[in-house]
Amino acid sequence: MTEARRSHFWHSDGRRLSGLSTLLLLLPFFAIIAFVFVYPILQLLVISILEPHPTLENYARVVENPVHMRVLMRTLWTATLVTALSVVLGFPVAYYMSRAKGTVAALVAVCVILPLWSSVLVRTAAWSFLFQRNGLINSALMALGLTSQPFKLLYTQSAVVIAMTHVLLPFMILPIYGALRSIPDDYGRAAAVLGATRLRTFLEVILPLSLPGVVSGSLLVFLTALGFFITPALLGSPQEMMISTLVSKQIREVLDWPFAAALVGVLTVFVTLLAIIFSKTLRFDRLMGNAS
Amino acid sequence: MKPPADRGSLALGAYVYAVLAFIIVPLVIVIPMSFSQNDYLAFPPSGFTLKWYSEYFDSRQWRAATWLSVQVALLTALCASVIGTAATYAMIRGRSRLVTAFQILLIGPIIVPHIALAVGLYLFFQTIGLSGTIPGFVLAHTVLTLPFVVFTMAAALAKVDANLEAAAMSCGATRFQAFRLVTLPLVLPSLASSALFAFIISFDEPVVSFFLSGVRQKTLPRRMFEDIEQNLTPVIPAIATLLIVLSILILLGAHVLRSRSVTR
Amino acid sequence: MNIASATQSASGASIRISRLEKRFGAVSAVDGVDIDIAAGEFIALLGPSGSGKTTILMSVAGFEFPTSGSIHVDSEDVTYVPSNRRNLGMVFQNYTLFPHMSILDNVAFPLKMRGLRAAERHARAEAALATVRLAGYGHRRPNELSGGQQQRVALARAIVYQPRVLLMDEPLSALDKNLREDMQLEIKRLHAELGITVIFVTHDQSEALTMADRIAVLKDGKIQQIGPARQLYERPTNLFTAGFIGEMNFVGVTVESVGDNVSVTLPWGETWRLPATAAVEPVAAGEAAVLAVRPERLQLGAGSGGQVITVTLSDIVYAGAALLLIGRLPDGTEMRARIPGASQLCALAPGDVASFTVPVEAMLLYRGSRR
Repeated sequence: MTEARRSHFWHSDGRRLSGLSTLLLLLPFFAIIAFVFVYPILQLLVISILEPHPTLENYARVVENPVHMRVLMRTLWTATLVTALSVVLGFPVAYYMSRAKGTVAALVAVCVILPLWSSVLVRTAAWSFLFQRNGLINSALMALGLTSQPFKLLYTQSAVVIAMTHVLLPFMILPIYGALRSIPDDYGRAAAVLGATRLRTFLEVILPLSLPGVVSGSLLVFLTALGFFITPALLGSPQEMMISTLVSKQIREVLDWPFAAALVGVLTVFVTLLAIIFSKTLRFDRLMGNAS
Repeated sequence: MKPPADRGSLALGAYVYAVLAFIIVPLVIVIPMSFSQNDYLAFPPSGFTLKWYSEYFDSRQWRAATWLSVQVALLTALCASVIGTAATYAMIRGRSRLVTAFQILLIGPIIVPHIALAVGLYLFFQTIGLSGTIPGFVLAHTVLTLPFVVFTMAAALAKVDANLEAAAMSCGATRFQAFRLVTLPLVLPSLASSALFAFIISFDEPVVSFFLSGVRQKTLPRRMFEDIEQNLTPVIPAIATLLIVLSILILLGAHVLRSRSVTR
Repeated sequence: MNIASATQSASGASIRISRLEKRFGAVSAVDGVDIDIAAGEFIALLGPSGSGKTTILMSVAGFEFPTSGSIHVDSEDVTYVPSNRRNLGMVFQNYTLFPHMSILDNVAFPLKMRGLRAAERHARAEAALATVRLAGYGHRRPNELSGGQQQRVALARAIVYQPRVLLMDEPLSALDKNLREDMQLEIKRLHAELGITVIFVTHDQSEALTMADRIAVLKDGKIQQIGPARQLYERPTNLFTAGFIGEMNFVGVTVESVGDNVSVTLPWGETWRLPATAAVEPVAAGEAAVLAVRPERLQLGAGSGGQVITVTLSDIVYAGAALLLIGRLPDGTEMRARIPGASQLCALAPGDVASFTVPVEAMLLYRGSRR
């Protein structure tokens, strides 16, 4: 028994790699993840509870200061709003995409996937052009006579919500699309043959079966939105910070590392817990644009 | 004969195309703006000029930032595809309890907010002198791109029958020869497309770059961030247009690679 | 250069599998198997899925390391030798041709691994293709060939470097019935031409019976019986083999006395006297036993030289060469009879009671009880 196990460690048996080669092939991955991912984040968590001395007061500052509490609440609310908007906007697109064929399907797929692979900065910059006093939206509103003077759109929370929804929408559409595509066409046909109207078929067969995709997409959007930095930093108001912009400010302007570390700790622990709770539903491999 | 179109489908279609417009218009809008003669970014754009493009190409700072990002992205693509493919191969053909740990650690960089990793690396890299260096950027971006490489390669390797390698070995090939002569050629298109994706993720990566960039070593996204934050000049639409073209080229490349692997 | 003539002198290798055991956790996939295979022999490993037949083959190929026991090829211990240094030919279930290589490169691959120059390995690959009747197909790609052709390419690749042992893991199960029969003959012909030792894994008993010199019947990792086809069919050594190979009728009986004759009581009270040779396994008076008889050995009508049974027929199936009669004995036990060339018996109808003679020499007696 020991002899066989030892030989599996040292020798490949042809179909499976030996234990030793498995280890060697995984080593660079573990090394870089440990060194460049696990260690720096653990270090931050340690700072948040050990500096200036072993204490939880950094965390107490997050919760007790009403300004910081409002930042946390705003972040949660924004992420929730963005997730809800993404479901409302994304589900019909995913449904349409799963039904479309040929050129139409390709066109819709390009519209969904191209933004996913273009720079977040490009998309955020585009919104800052659109939201300017003399940008497209204000020009259009004034040309239509809906308003006589331009709205203040840039540097508002609405701008952040709209632009974040735009950036994160593909993360909602693709998992729902994946779930819808995995429903065999025959289910819909079977329901129709059994006498269901198209609406009933959708509500009682398609919708329940697509729910895992909706949950997966919602989590993905929600988790990403919680820690989103670029869009709030460029389009948001300095008076209405989100947790990520507050972290950035603490580090770059206030230089309060322990407090920034505590903010990162709150964010990371919350996000990780959510991910662990929903680990069964999250299907990250559906994100690789395998839609076409 | 066409079946009658019902109002439900029409409404769905209209809604979907409105959403698609919401997705695509902000992206497309920067293209005409990049050719506008206006010095300030007013709408509608007027005239036609290439001066914003030449401003970008003539600027030493923009060129330096772009060159830094290109170097980082190329090295990231190389590191991530080699490390990711080795680990994925070990995961699929391997024999180790580490495989479970691998799967958990793999989704870490996707779950944990980039701002958390960026701040952690900012602190860590400053103490060991990697901040603002090419190795520092490459290490950070490799971590961020590894999950994508692994997902792509796992899908590709899972399609290669394990018995093909066994057959090669029964023909006298060593394990490494079996991989190099049989498995590798079969997954090469996926390997290339995962390298392409790693390149574009690194090239466009804004958050970690934002914190790791020094005064002198600034990546293109970091310099764009500053420009958008401070003065928002029409150079930005020009660069944005170039980046969109790059994304299209990368997606086309990936598409060609995928169709090539299908015909196999 | 003709591969067949080149290999005629080189005969197969002998293989000795001793006390082979393979455990996966608590489960024994192979549980103390001994097989001695003579040089040039064609042996089939036959059993239901999970019987350990593939694990044995993979251990011989070097794709599994046994938990204990050893494998010798021509007295060389190869138990832990890596598969690429065993010099065995192997054909897998699903062709496993390298999809990115031409047919010729596929067949030449083992020669490339052995460092042969391009010109020579192509010539020898062409010759090997000719022996499987695929000369001229070398430039094609695997996906341009039919399943049967692909499996013949796999065969050519396995024999091109003149190995002394050929291992085949259910090589025909992916093919449809007609192709399968063609390939059975093809493999038999190659075996005869090359004199190579063949281990052939299958779950198809007719394949094993028609092709192999000897068949090892496996169940739960243990060898149930090993022997030539005729022995397996005519006198299975235990109840499992009796039920696994071919069709068999079973009747539970009680042993009355054992001596020069064996007396058994049938479920409906009748007592039969059987010759002592009928007892395949030793039986003892007072114990339960199972009487087995092949359906084709039953003779319609009451005759001499055997015992007579009465069967209430439930189904009469016309099966071409024979008529299949299905019915029940007085105690309800199902009984099948295959009567050859019996179309004149179409007068029989379901519900009829028919008499059959069971020849004494057709009866086999086993220990234990059925179900």
